[in-house]
Order: sequence, then structure tokens, then C-alpha cells
Amino acid sequence: MVQKLVVEYEPELIEGFDFRRAMEEASRCLLCEDPPCSKGCPSGTDPGKFIRSIRFRNVNGAAETIRTSNILGASCSLICPQERLCEQECSRCGIDRPIQIGKLQQFAMEYERKLNKTYLSKKDTYAGKRVACIGAGPASLSCAAELAKQGVQVTIFDEHPKPGGMLRYAIPPYRLPDAVIDQDIHQLEKLGVKFRLNDKVTTKELGKMKEEYDNIFVGIGMWQSKMLTIPGADLPGVVTAIEFLSRAREAHGKMPSLGNVVIVGGGDVAMDCAATCKMLGAASIYDIFIETIEGAPAVQKEKEYVFKLGVPLISEFKPVEFIGQSRVERVKFEHMSNGSILEIAADTVILAVGQTMQSEAASWRDSGDIFSGGDMVNGGDTVVRAVKEGKEAAVKMMESFTRR
Amino acid sequence: MIMKKDLSINFLGVHCENPFFLSSSPVCNNAEMISKAFDAGWAGIFYKTVGINGMDECSPRFDITTKEDTPWIGFKNMEQISEWSLEQNVEEIKKLKKNYPNKVIGVSIMGSNEEEWITLAKAITEAGADMLELNFSCPQMTSHAMGSDVGQNPELVRKYTKAVVDHTHLPVVAKMTPNISKMEDPAIAAVQGGAHGISAINTIKSVSKIDLDHLTGLPVVNGKSAISGYSGNAVKPIALRFITQLAQCEQLKTVQLSGIGGIETWQDALEFILLGCRNVQVTTSVMQYGYRIVEDMINGLSHFMDERGVDNLEDMVGLAVNNIIPAEELDRSYKIIPAIHLEKCIGCGRCYVSCYDGAHQAIAWNSETRKPEILIDHCVGCHLCLNVCPVFDCITPGEVIFKDGRDNNRNGEDIVKQLVYQ
Repeated sequence: MVQKLVVEYEPELIEGFDFRRAMEEASRCLLCEDPPCSKGCPSGTDPGKFIRSIRFRNVNGAAETIRTSNILGASCSLICPQERLCEQECSRCGIDRPIQIGKLQQFAMEYERKLNKTYLSKKDTYAGKRVACIGAGPASLSCAAELAKQGVQVTIFDEHPKPGGMLRYAIPPYRLPDAVIDQDIHQLEKLGVKFRLNDKVTTKELGKMKEEYDNIFVGIGMWQSKMLTIPGADLPGVVTAIEFLSRAREAHGKMPSLGNVVIVGGGDVAMDCAATCKMLGAASIYDIFIETIEGAPAVQKEKEYVFKLGVPLISEFKPVEFIGQSRVERVKFEHMSNGSILEIAADTVILAVGQTMQSEAASWRDSGDIFSGGDMVNGGDTVVRAVKEGKEAAVKMMESFTRR
Repeated sequence: MIMKKDLSINFLGVHCENPFFLSSSPVCNNAEMISKAFDAGWAGIFYKTVGINGMDECSPRFDITTKEDTPWIGFKNMEQISEWSLEQNVEEIKKLKKNYPNKVIGVSIMGSNEEEWITLAKAITEAGADMLELNFSCPQMTSHAMGSDVGQNPELVRKYTKAVVDHTHLPVVAKMTPNISKMEDPAIAAVQGGAHGISAINTIKSVSKIDLDHLTGLPVVNGKSAISGYSGNAVKPIALRFITQLAQCEQLKTVQLSGIGGIETWQDALEFILLGCRNVQVTTSVMQYGYRIVEDMINGLSHFMDERGVDNLEDMVGLAVNNIIPAEELDRSYKIIPAIHLEKCIGCGRCYVSCYDGAHQAIAWNSETRKPEILIDHCVGCHLCLNVCPVFDCITPGEVIFKDGRDNNRNGEDIVKQLVYQ
């Protein structure tokens, strides 16, 4: 039998462990004292404890532990860079290879979904308090869940038609299917969190909301893509990564022909673009970045995946010019040190060179009388870090309720 | 936020916050370690057997059995009872009772004659214990007047139980040895002597393996070894068998049972409860994993009761007892042919190998396609194939075929629904 490399762009679900495989993997866990994996998780999802629960046949307990500490437990199981967080800390690395923590988390979260379980409950500690969360991305969702669990009435505002933020609009569905995001969102709905979608909050409205709500959390991320200031950057055919990924996702992968694609960037988003292009049938794909292969910021697993899909990764070249008449036709690169020149034909160029905040976000963040978290505060990091920051903001907010 | 149901249950008139106790063994040897266990969630303990004098132990004293890469399938130990004197242990017990008034302190005791049993019963009762457990069952004592040699002799069991009962107001549990063919005999003797409860099983006499270099058993103690007690998950089926027989015995209907033997998970514990135990005791898995395993016992059992709508643990005690019947009374009117779901089959051929070599040559193997096929005429419905298949839900119970001219007034679908394989 041959192991298949998943290439379906929009699978309904991502196949996980069945009970036997989960037990086999959980049995590999060394059940460490003071588990280092648990310390490796920014949001405190506590893999040491939930793996132990699986090992002792308490899958409910495992799912409950995950849910209690991470409202995005299902999504994080699929997209968290475990290899540089919990799995990197795993003591089993001293013997052979780490426990597949993400797969075990996925198993527990699938159990929750299949049996339609609810593990979170609502207390009325802060009943009557009202909070608005602006942005429906990971930081906001996490903040909202913590507040709602204590009885705060939370409303989340987002300009997009669906909640999830970057989970929904930037991460491709072959890594994170809609059903999994919906599963996480459903937990928030069960806690009574309200969503106001297609509702872009302006600075003026924010002012009004400050009077209407007891507190405001802002987690509006970094949706502005960085551009390159080189000749030809405004030629049609040159698009930003987030724009490309969200368009592909909204179109369920049914896009006009991409032709020959050149991707610029060596981060996880670039890898997502490369794999997406492959699945959408691009004629040729090159991913080119300024770093070395090992120095490129994408996690190793994603680099390997893209390589296995047959996408060449070209390191240490920087783009110097996009060439074309009415639209982009070629891209010119220059080696970072040895003077080599590379020119590649391109019908589509995808720029995955980083994100920045929208202009008003900084003034909101720095205004002092609101709470904030996620990418707009940390400069762009993992979902699980945004979860942590959302939780921390919620705790501070509730402390402020107690003081008043 | 973590879910916890009320798992409390009355055992011998003593309120226990849950049914999970540590059994008398190295895991409850002093007040300091037991305090940690209580903090982790254990409802009570049976303090490591207290004798008149401390023991003289050997080194090393443990061995494990392994299958493929799974260690600790079974565990052999050579430790006897407490290495401390009666006086030292009394101090520890007093300390525990003072610091943990709501936890249940059972204390295991063992004497070598009537006078010693009485001395121990009085001293431990005065120390403030909540119940006594009489150790008639340790298989590795260095004295033949103690342990399982006593437990195999109903007359001695009756005599010593009576001696203790006459000198304490506490509930008394007699702990049985499995190194006997009919456990009911000493159990009935204990009840006649006045015991209120029976606990079972203590460890099974064993030689875990032979060291091929030293030509002796393990563990090797200065070139030699000895027969001693075997425990762990491997012994659970044997423990469940003894518990079933105790639960079904008419003369024992008045006593309460405490189940011991290979419990690691909430499911293991529940199996003992369903067979009539109101209390369960654990050691080997604590030695392997630590006191923390009780967290998943409490949480897992809570979730199970919540899912099944059970509010009192007591309502589940003994529910399975009457469903274990003599072999001659089993329904033998049908066979269930396994169904192989070929879309899940990975083509390993293990079902074919086992069926041919270990059963009834009822699976045909296509070496070209690497797919098996059930030969219904040969198949007797033993389900060996289903137990060796490595793929989840690839082989499941299928068609029910009644033997010629026989019926049991139930349809095939109902019969298959009863079978759940993992």
C-alpha cells in the first residue's frame, strides 16, 4: 500500500486517529512528572493532562481539558505549529520522536463533535456586565469565551460575513476545514456569545460603544499586507497572499487559471499559497525567498509538505523587478550575495512577505481605555498565542469589574 | 470547570466520597505519601499491612512481564507487610486521621497467632482507624503461620476473624487469596467469624520468568529467586471471576465486596462495581503511574454516569452479576458470521493466518488482490479473525445463522447489537 499525499483542496474533514491509533499514540506518552509539553503550550491547553486522560480511556476528560483551556481547541489541533511548541518540549524526543500531540488533540475534539458534547458551562459571576469584542479572530473569540463563561454578555463585531478571522479567510481549507472552525464557534454560541457580522466598526462608532459597554476588547489582527517597493509592483497579476488565499477559499477553489505562479516569501503563509496553487492546478509554481532553506521561517513540516508536492523552494534570492506590459509576465531576482540573476516567467505573483496593521488599529490599541490582543499587539504570531492573549485580557477585564 | 459528579457510596456503614481506595501495599506505607494520595482524590486507603514487628526484605524485589513493547502487563513483587513496628504505624495512622478526618482510613493487619491478631485489632482501633482489613492472603510471607497459608485454611480464617471482631467496634473486611480453587469457602468462614466485608483478590503466586544466565527466576537475589505474588492488569480477568463467584454465592449475600486486581481506569473499576463491589482498591497501576490516575477515574466515571443518566453510583452495583451464567446454560442455537468490510481492509492477511492455523480454515485468501473472503460453510462464528484484525471496524459481527431446526425467538439484528468490539 502507498501512503497518499492529501491534495484535495477543500476536504469536508481531515482524517484523524481512530480509537486504536489514539490509544497506540497515547501509550507512547511517557506520562512525565510536571509535563514539559504542557509548559510548551502558550494557551495552557495542557497536553500532559489530556493525553493521560486518553491513555486511561477517559476521552471525555481529554476533550474537557482541551475545551476548558482553549476555546479554539479543534482548530488549534490542526493548525498549531506543534513541532516548535509542545512537541518540541516532549521528553520522548530523548528516545526517538515526540508524541503526535496535535493528532491526539484532534482525536479528542472529533469525539466532542461526533457526540455533540458540551463541556463548558456558564456561571453568573459577572452577570449584567456587557463587553464588545471587535474582530472575530482568535484573540477576540478567546477573550469572549472567558468572559461568557463567567456570565458576561459578549457581542463580537466583525466586518466579514463569517467569524474566525484569519482562521476562516487566510488558512486554506485543506489544513482547516470550515466544519472545524464552526465546531469551535458553536461552543461560543452555546455560551451565549452574540455575533454581529458584516459590521465594520469605525473609530466614531468605537467612541459610542465605549459608553454602551462596560468594556471593549479589540483584536482586529494585521490584515494589511506588506508590499514591495520595487518596479512593477502595481502590475495586474501581482497579488498579496491574504488576498489570494481568502479569494480561493471563498470561491471553494474554483478560480480563474493561475498559469505560472511565483510566490515570494518563506513563511507559513507562503507555504500555504504554494500548496494551494498546486491543488488548484497551477501550470508551474516556484517559491522564492531571501532566507536560506533552514532559515526560512515556515515550520519544517510545512516546508517538507510543499517540497513533497513538487514545488521547488529557491532560497537566498530577492525580487528586484516585476516585468510586464499590461500585466506581470516575468519576475527578476538577484542572489543575496553572489550576484547571480534569476528571471522566471509568471502569470501570477503572490507576495507573502508579511502583514501589518490597518492604520486606525494602532490608535485604537494605544488609546489606553480598551483591551487588545492577538496579532495587532504581538506583531503577528500563532493562533494559540492569540488565544492566550485573549484569555489574559479577559482576566484583567474581570479584575477591573471586581475593583469597581 | 472540570466535571465531577457525586460518586459517594456507603461501604460498610462508612461514607466514602468515591469508591476509589488504595490497597494495602507499598503505595500506602506512611502518612506523608498517603497525604499526597488523598490530595489527588483517593477517597480512602487500606494502610499497608501492620504486623507486630517490621519485616526483613530482599533486594531487588520486583519484576514485570512484557508483551511486544507493552511493559507492566503484569507485576511480580516480593515485599511482605510493613517494615515498621506497630508503634510507629499507630503514630502514622493517628496523624492521618487528624489531618484527613473526611477520608477513610482502613488499616490492614496480620498476626501469626490469635494473641497477635487481638493486639493488632485493639491498637489500630484505638489509633482511630475507620475499618480493619484482615490480610489472609499475602503469598510471600517468610512465616507459614501468616498470609495466604492462613487464607487457604477456612478454620484459621474463622478463628482469627472472630478474634478480631470480638476486640473491635470497627467494620472488618477479610482479604482473600486467589491461590485456591474455591474462594467461597474461606470467605464464608470469615463471615461466620463475623466479617462484614470481603475483599479480593490478593496477588497470585507466580514465577514471572527465568533468567537465562543465572538459571533462576526474576528478580535474582544473590543467585536465587522465590515464588511470589503477581498483580497488574493481566490478573484482572481472574479477579473478576472470583468476584463474580463471591457475588453469586448465597451464603455471602449479607456481606459487601471490595474489588481488587489490575484496575487502571474508570472502566476497569466500573467492571468490578457492576459485579457487585461497592469499593475498589488499586496498587500496581499507582506504582507504575502515580496517584494522579485517580483523576481520570473520578472524571471518567462522572462522565459515564452523566451520559447514562445515573445519579447514584449505588444504582450500578451488581448490575452484571446475573448475566454471568454457567456455560451449560448459554444459548448455543446460532452462529454469527463475521462481516469483512473490504473497503477498510489493508490486505495484511492476519485474519487468514489466524483462521487457518488457529480456527476453522474459513477464510479464503486471494494472493493477487490480497483480500480475504469468509467461507460461510466453514465458518463457525468464533470471531478469532475479528480479534486479530488491526484495522478499527474492518471486521464486525455480521449475519446471524441459526443452527438447523433451532431458534431463540430473537432476530439476528438484536443479537448482533449486543456485541461491541473495540
